[in-house]
Amino acid sequence: MTTDLRISNVSKIYPGCIANDNVSLQFKSGKIYALLGENGAGKSTLVKILSGVVSPDNGEVFLNEKNLKLSSPLDAKKNKIGMVFQHFNLFETLSVFENLSIDATEDNESLRVRVNEILKKYNFSIDLDVPVLNLSAGQKQKVEIIRCLLRSPKVLIMDEPTSVLTEQETEELFISLKKFCDEGILIIYITHKLKEVLSLCDEVAVMRKGKVVSVSQTQNERVETLANKMVGQKLAKIKKKINISKNKDEIFKVKHLNFYSDDPFETNLVNLNFSVKRGECLGIAGISGNGQNELFQILSGEIITPDTSIIFRNKEIAKLNPKQRREYLMAFSPEDRISQAAVPELKIYENVALNNFKSSNFFEKGLVNEKKIKEHSKKILSDFSVNTDNVELKSQFLSGGNLQKLILGRELITAPELLICYNPTWGLDVGAINYIHETLIKINNQEKSTILISTDTEELLKLSDRIAVIYKGKLSKIMPSEEVTPEKLGVLMGGGSID
Amino acid sequence: MSLDISFIGILIGSIMASSVPLILAASGELVTERSGVLNLGVEGMMIIGAISGFALMVITDNLFIAIVGSMLSGVIISLIFGFLSQSLLTNHVATGLALTIFGIGLSAMLGKNFVGIPGKEFPILFSSLKESIPFFGPILFGHSIVLYFAFALPFLTNYFLKKTKLGLVVRAVGDSPVSASNQGINVILVRYCCILYGGAMCGLAGAYLSLIYTPQWIENMTAGRGWIALALVVFATWSPIKVLIGALIFGGITILQLHMQAIGFRIPVQFLSALPYLMTIIVLVVISRDSRKIKLNTPTSLGRIFYKEK
Repeated sequence: MTTDLRISNVSKIYPGCIANDNVSLQFKSGKIYALLGENGAGKSTLVKILSGVVSPDNGEVFLNEKNLKLSSPLDAKKNKIGMVFQHFNLFETLSVFENLSIDATEDNESLRVRVNEILKKYNFSIDLDVPVLNLSAGQKQKVEIIRCLLRSPKVLIMDEPTSVLTEQETEELFISLKKFCDEGILIIYITHKLKEVLSLCDEVAVMRKGKVVSVSQTQNERVETLANKMVGQKLAKIKKKINISKNKDEIFKVKHLNFYSDDPFETNLVNLNFSVKRGECLGIAGISGNGQNELFQILSGEIITPDTSIIFRNKEIAKLNPKQRREYLMAFSPEDRISQAAVPELKIYENVALNNFKSSNFFEKGLVNEKKIKEHSKKILSDFSVNTDNVELKSQFLSGGNLQKLILGRELITAPELLICYNPTWGLDVGAINYIHETLIKINNQEKSTILISTDTEELLKLSDRIAVIYKGKLSKIMPSEEVTPEKLGVLMGGGSID
Repeated sequence: MSLDISFIGILIGSIMASSVPLILAASGELVTERSGVLNLGVEGMMIIGAISGFALMVITDNLFIAIVGSMLSGVIISLIFGFLSQSLLTNHVATGLALTIFGIGLSAMLGKNFVGIPGKEFPILFSSLKESIPFFGPILFGHSIVLYFAFALPFLTNYFLKKTKLGLVVRAVGDSPVSASNQGINVILVRYCCILYGGAMCGLAGAYLSLIYTPQWIENMTAGRGWIALALVVFATWSPIKVLIGALIFGGITILQLHMQAIGFRIPVQFLSALPYLMTIIVLVVISRDSRKIKLNTPTSLGRIFYKEK
């Protein structure tokens, strides 16, 4: 039996923003559909409408020519529309089984039997009786998928499912999705990652500013054509001119960096030694969870390790805290924008003031100099083309890309000699990624240095002058990036060796 | 003074009686908090329960009506909290504090004409067994039905939260109201029910004071027990069984230190009076120090306002 889902003239208007503007789309089972668009293009709103979380102002949704009235998530459930949200909709303190049983209609024994059947069929291995908070992101996603499968869905919607997954987990997910598709489930895959669209999906609809701008077969598309449709303008190709020169002085030098932790969730670091030259970008590649978190925290001074020597601009800074390191003109952009780099509940200018550097005069005699901070924030917003000029806006209302621009702007306005960033373009759309990359290259061209810790190999190859790979807390030898290929990186990131 | 075995039995019996209002109020508040609602109005709901129970007893001369009425009055006053915090999305803490202040004031006003009226004897169960069995008699028998209910309540609550579907829903709502709502659970309805249940238990706790424990109406007679109950819930890390243990320790040391004061121990009275609070906190902190368990039992969304996307 085939499933046919039709969205007809759906509109949703929020105050000050048209999230969906007369969207019409048609889906048939047996194919995987991509819904592609930048952050804020209206994908998530459309998905929320399909799952009954929000109701559209106008328009209708038809499933097999039956007009669905989706006024609550229950309606979506009843009509066999399953949904895996980007931010997981799980109960962290409940066990996996409790999470699954909460809306089940059968008794626990038969539910357990069915869950085990699904686990076996799709080769998932998850302990049903541990609390969800102990699971990895990939496992949590599987729990969400199982929850949908238990209701034998006709439609399965995945909202940016790979943003929290490792490459291995992504591969596993794709295999499962293809299986579901073969079994007749209609799959709608929401993403802004172009490569995923091409490798997984059969058809792609591109959304921009609330409208559907194109529907096409993926076999007729390439990364560039999709990117241009998504952004709506031709993206300038950026390529770094490699400016490595042998006789530049070493501005930053790390020796004997060791880190040992009892926490099983942390990775030990074993004798890392590296240095960064003036105007250079040192890339550190690796699959997440191989010690990048710990390395970033040690370099930024959040963790102080004994017996480590960090020389920055000819001074020993290994014992200094992040604030002191900033005063020596280091700057940091952590991975998690919401919880580590910014306080989402604070206004933009308040977040700017948090990075209170010595020459800022943000505070006078213990009082906040609001006027100065606001002026300064305005300058960041315009210099770094954040799409608002309202410094009173709470940071949580900025999209990921704009928040990242704000953070980079905040860090760079002090003109640091070294910027250390960790996954700076994580979860961003193509336009924002391009902007961030241009900014990072600009820094190097101004003879300032960067350390780029990233899980995105493409980004590393594009920006780095030299690259090393971190695997299980150990650093590979550092290679000039012209000698590095994606294949080589892949081998090293997987724990293999080259030569 | 000789501490003979039957005296200890009587002592334990009286400790149990004194901890009943704490067990009732804390068990009710525990369910409310497990759904993610922080109702600081426990003291207010208890005192309203106390006066309405006593007033109904005087007016109707029927203890059953008085008990049921006290629970209903707890439900009604908690409904005010529910409406404000769930429907009008007011801040939980401020609303709860207002409820307590309102309850104390209202009860004093309503209770004006009931001061000095003697209470009625509340029937006790198995009174013959109480006398005939030494030691265990006064512990197990000769109590009011409310006491037996109170001692069963933590176990029932535990069973409800851990084993039943509804209990699971309550915990889920307390963990993540947004997820629960996306799963089609009516979060506001669940929270309303938990608030009203908490109100009923607090009302009953108040009535126990004014009808059974010290059968009379005295202004402000709950004397801070509502706050103790609130603290018990937190220190017991939202576990009903630990609430029972905490309430017994608190009641026990309160009674013991009174005896010690009477005997004339050479310890400052102020210290003895502070002892119940101190010991309860210490014991509960010691038995609940497993941080993993705390994380699992703590309602993640406690006190946070939830509103539904439209």
